[in-house]
Amino acid sequence: MGASGSGKTSMRSLIFSNNPASLTARLGATIDVEQNHVRFLGDLILNLWDCGGQDAFMDSYLTTQRSTIFQHVGVLIYVFDVETSEMHKDLEYYRDCLDGLRQFSPDAAVFLLVHKMDLARERGATFERKKRELLGQSEKHADVTVFGTSIYDESLYRAWSSIVHTLIPNAAVLSKHLTIFADACSATEVILFERTTFLVIATSSPPSSASSSSSTPSPSPSPSTPSSSSSPEANAFQELEATRYERTSELIKAFKHSCSRVREEFHSLEMELPEFSAVLDEMTKNTYVLIIVHDPTIETAALKLNIRMARRKFEELQGLT
Amino acid sequence: MTSTYGATSSSPKRTMSSTSSVNGVTRTKILLLGQRRSGKTSIKEVLFNALPPKQTFYLETTMRIVKHAYDTVIPLEIWDCPGNIAVDTLGAPLSQFSALIFVIDIRDLYKQPISKLVEFIIAAYHDNPQLLVEVFVHKAEKLQDERIENFRQIQERVQDHLMESECEQMPYNFHLTSVYDHSLHEAFSKVLHKLVHSLPFLEDLLNVFCANSQSPKAFLFDAASRLYVATDASPVDSATHNLCCDYLSMLNAFGPLYRSPTSRATRLRIPAAEPSPDNPLPAETKDRFYPSAAASLHPSAPGTTLTYHLITPHLALLALVPTGVYEGRRGLLEYNVVFFREGVQEICAVEHEARGG
Repeated sequence: MGASGSGKTSMRSLIFSNNPASLTARLGATIDVEQNHVRFLGDLILNLWDCGGQDAFMDSYLTTQRSTIFQHVGVLIYVFDVETSEMHKDLEYYRDCLDGLRQFSPDAAVFLLVHKMDLARERGATFERKKRELLGQSEKHADVTVFGTSIYDESLYRAWSSIVHTLIPNAAVLSKHLTIFADACSATEVILFERTTFLVIATSSPPSSASSSSSTPSPSPSPSTPSSSSSPEANAFQELEATRYERTSELIKAFKHSCSRVREEFHSLEMELPEFSAVLDEMTKNTYVLIIVHDPTIETAALKLNIRMARRKFEELQGLT
Repeated sequence: MTSTYGATSSSPKRTMSSTSSVNGVTRTKILLLGQRRSGKTSIKEVLFNALPPKQTFYLETTMRIVKHAYDTVIPLEIWDCPGNIAVDTLGAPLSQFSALIFVIDIRDLYKQPISKLVEFIIAAYHDNPQLLVEVFVHKAEKLQDERIENFRQIQERVQDHLMESECEQMPYNFHLTSVYDHSLHEAFSKVLHKLVHSLPFLEDLLNVFCANSQSPKAFLFDAASRLYVATDASPVDSATHNLCCDYLSMLNAFGPLYRSPTSRATRLRIPAAEPSPDNPLPAETKDRFYPSAAASLHPSAPGTTLTYHLITPHLALLALVPTGVYEGRRGLLEYNVVFFREGVQEICAVEHEARGG
């Protein structure tokens, strides 16, 4: 939900339909509610309600359609245009929506996206101000998260990854198994992505020996003994780029789009760069896995073999949901 | 061309006449001209400083000539000039330059830029008839339907003007470009091809590589700018070129994402220092770590794999290889890459030496 022209449909087209940001200008206004079923992770089907934001629609959502709109809501995503001139009206509708939500689906999580951040001049300061203002408006509702987003950079993927994360029932279990898998691969990190949206589903947790001091010299990590190689990896882990997951989603989506333009379909990727080795490949029929290894002695072929071996286990894990 | 190398020769070899020596290395000079706000600095920044196209909007007006040195297969020096520069205020004779790129905004009033262009072409005709003149009709993304029409109109007018001034035999080329798609990269690559004198040898190496690796298409790219330096003999289809360009930009962006401060040194095995000038290609570079990557483009059997192999610190080989060949005979493929790499490195070493580096 959100005001007319705030960017709800643009966002949806980018994340779920694999369209580039430059094409969003062509989208027309959404009339009433557009319902979308997105099969996300096999059995988990997201039912996306894109609600047109014109005042007439908003009024009807809050009155006549109130019970239809606000029943069985898992997540409410309310989009605010950062440059809006009618913040007051926006907030009023937002408060009404919260009321509706409290009445029909009190357990729903609420995400507020301060959108079109690319237009804001001082991103950091503007976002902090808006965030305080919005949180002030939503005191009665406990579970509210605010994100600053833009379709032109990775911030959108960050917000949506955390939105879907709340909807995945067994994220913790997946994460635990990814950590075991990372250990088996001598990997620094393993990340699981959803296939079509390339949103992050789960990641391996940092290597357990993160507490060991950085002074431990290990110039030649031996792959056979995981204990000796885990300490530099743990340190490496802490210093990795904070926005790496979102940027990865963004990069892969952009490349998938390039592939589709030449009627090819992106399938898998392996890299041996000066900084790290990585393999990106299908894990299950609706997930992709990215393995990041910093140890120079690990071959990508070995990682691929490990993925093949792990496939059945992860299919099983998904089947449980 | 069998040219006499003597210093008194009346027609010195072109590489010598059109370049100058700064800091011991002879750089090939490219002049970037055009009206104010036509997009010269944007072009330079997008290609050689990896500026995102959207950010070009915020670039300041260039007030003085900015000389940008860039090392690729040959060392380049790009002169980004302010809009009001004329032949006599340039501060250097046209004979120093190897190429002149003239940028015209496609939406501009054509009268002024064209007369400026013609002025430079006439001057070049007298001073340096071998100067490459390339016209970039720029900001093509701003017009949808009329852009071919405008493009043609500009070409006709330039032709008419040159007829009048009786120097129509001066060769020049037109390119329709935009920083928002791959047209700029393609156009600039074509300019670069004419400046690289070792091009035929690089192309031969690529042909041999393709023939022996069952590759339908291979490019030698400059990794940072994503300009292609050479390709094999098969025709360039721009969709494939664009895909390779995008692939390279993804790989370039991936590197810093998962970088850890400690891993690089151990992964590279030996320090990645440039070979010293008195010992241009020491044996130790042979066992250096060369980054590589492969993206498979189709899940089923007869698919294509897009491979990437770094050849020199600046150049990367991108090749389309049938997935069956990549998976089944990867060792042979990499063997071919090693031979290709040695060839290219030898060519680069000779070039380096010739330029007094």
